[in-house]
Amino acid sequence: MQKSKKVVILGHFGVGKTSLIRRFVNDQFSDKYKVTIGVHITKKVVTLPTDDTISLILWDLEGTDALEEIRDAYLLGTHGIIFVFDVSRPSTFQHLNSDLKIVAKKVPERPLLVVGNKKDLVPEEELTQLLENHQISFNYLTSAKTGDTVEDVFMELATLLKSDA
Amino acid sequence: MLKQYLQEFANKNLQFVLVGKDGKILESEPAFLPIKTGDLITDVHPFFEGIAALEDEDESEFSFYCVHLEVDNQTYITDIQMFRKKEGLLIVIQDLTEHYETYQAVAQARNESIINEELIVLKNAELEERERFKNLFIQNFSHELRNPLMSSMAITQILGDTDLNTEQKQLLDVLRDSNSHLKLLLEDTLSISMIASGKLELKSSLFNLSKLLELLSFTYQTKARAKGLRFTFKADKRVPEMVEGDRLRLFQVLTNLLDNAIKYTHTGSVELRIAFNQQWANKVHLNFAVKDTGPGIPENKRALVFETFSQLASPNAQQGTGLGLALVKGLLSLMESEIKLESTPGTGTVFSFDLGLKVPLRSTLQSAAQHKSDATSRKIGGPGRKYKLLLVEDDERVLTVLFKILMDTKQFYIDVLADGAEVLEAVIQNEYDLILMDINLPNTRGDQLTQIIREFPFKNVKQLPIVGITAYAYEDHMKAYKDAGMNAVLAKPFDSEELLTTLFSFLRK
Repeated sequence: MQKSKKVVILGHFGVGKTSLIRRFVNDQFSDKYKVTIGVHITKKVVTLPTDDTISLILWDLEGTDALEEIRDAYLLGTHGIIFVFDVSRPSTFQHLNSDLKIVAKKVPERPLLVVGNKKDLVPEEELTQLLENHQISFNYLTSAKTGDTVEDVFMELATLLKSDA
Repeated sequence: MLKQYLQEFANKNLQFVLVGKDGKILESEPAFLPIKTGDLITDVHPFFEGIAALEDEDESEFSFYCVHLEVDNQTYITDIQMFRKKEGLLIVIQDLTEHYETYQAVAQARNESIINEELIVLKNAELEERERFKNLFIQNFSHELRNPLMSSMAITQILGDTDLNTEQKQLLDVLRDSNSHLKLLLEDTLSISMIASGKLELKSSLFNLSKLLELLSFTYQTKARAKGLRFTFKADKRVPEMVEGDRLRLFQVLTNLLDNAIKYTHTGSVELRIAFNQQWANKVHLNFAVKDTGPGIPENKRALVFETFSQLASPNAQQGTGLGLALVKGLLSLMESEIKLESTPGTGTVFSFDLGLKVPLRSTLQSAAQHKSDATSRKIGGPGRKYKLLLVEDDERVLTVLFKILMDTKQFYIDVLADGAEVLEAVIQNEYDLILMDINLPNTRGDQLTQIIREFPFKNVKQLPIVGITAYAYEDHMKAYKDAGMNAVLAKPFDSEELLTTLFSFLRK
């Protein structure tokens, strides 16, 4: 039977969580910002390089700058987490380390990937410098707009979850 | 009866679903969601894939708020509650789409405004950083230009005093013109960066406005004639002779406007006109206008001409740095005035501004006249006596020039040093009349040395006149050097007259 794994996408509002999912699931993008309230759930079956398939249930949670306030019910049974920040808005990553601590406390011992989105908005050299200055460690830099590196994020998480099972 | 109606109303947005332990739907009603008995609940929506995980939880009730369920191309925004029952799980779904849509609109407006505000702050910070960088660049650049320009000016002057043939004299004139042009550009550049960083302060004093206008009229008459243009000067009879204001800055504004007019006018005339607006108490309000018959400025370029370096950015750049009008705009705003531009392409342009200037009372006028005659009666150079001067400078080029100017007066014995410790020892060992000292020295700074000298216990050393030389001509720098104990500070580039006048003003006769 196909395994289904619950993945929650977290991060401040306006960082592009919905856009990343939309790019990954439907290969679409819209510049128009629509605020997510509550939660949207989509499913995508992923075929791994090993030919195994895994069904990702993607929970796109309402963005918040106070992660403590996320309702615990949304996080029940979470298998993996993607934490997204916006590289063009320092307010979404300047407290990244403490944000990640809160996440780890709420959902302990689960694979987590940290993603800096909207890389198309900041020149590469400037971006490296900026993240270094803020001492930000991340797993991927993506652009939901151009599609750059989006697939890699979900594929890596899918691989991690598969080996977890 | 009421109970039944109440039930109908309450049930309108509610759906009860009973799910067996195997995930199959046992019962579902009343149905706003198309959920069929016998189907797997996980096939209704991926949200329900999470149900299996609830088995591991201790609680018997679970609430999920604001869950979007897309079913048969329709989106319901719902609150979902789940209760453990003996048959399996009772799921209660409440459709609150309308309620949540209102909430969404509020959240949308809130988040958008927060993000926009953040982006504006970031954008402004970026612009400020760019402006800061530009000013820093200008400051450093103009600083670097000072030493070579100073040498060039001084050597030109020295060459002028030697025997030259006619051709050499003409070449020297060109060199002299280029030097003054460079000096002006340097001053304008510096002024602009100082205005931009808020460091430029106006220095108000009593001055002869009629004389200033006469000088301008004479200068531009000559310049216009050389280009085959007519120059007219008109001033209202009521324009006062003496006024109080920043003479240098007013002069800068007018010369920039006039230079600009002459530069862009190829046939016809340039006019300088001063009109009298009104006089209230001790303040006179004048209108200055510079009119030309040049090509005019098209409407869409009018804002741009006041931008710094706007000319440089244009592919059809003409000679000049494009600093002039930006400087005029900046200086006038410091004087609480504003430049106005009227232009008809093909006919000409008028730049004008209103300016309020203080008019002094009669008694102040007399004492100013007295003061002026005192000042002019003091000639450069003293009587026969020779002075002992310590020259502290490490730049060979500057040193050569200074040495030459001072030696030519035949009034100085000069010691030259560049090392801080040696300077301190020398001032104790020798009885100097004055120290002329560069601020930037190899291992120390002139202002720091001055501070040490001022703390010496020997009266003759402690009170020694010290004149600083600097390429950092900013007012706050100059003030800091004076605070350190320097009697005067000369900003590079200066000419021999400026240097000697300053030195002799501190030397005992």
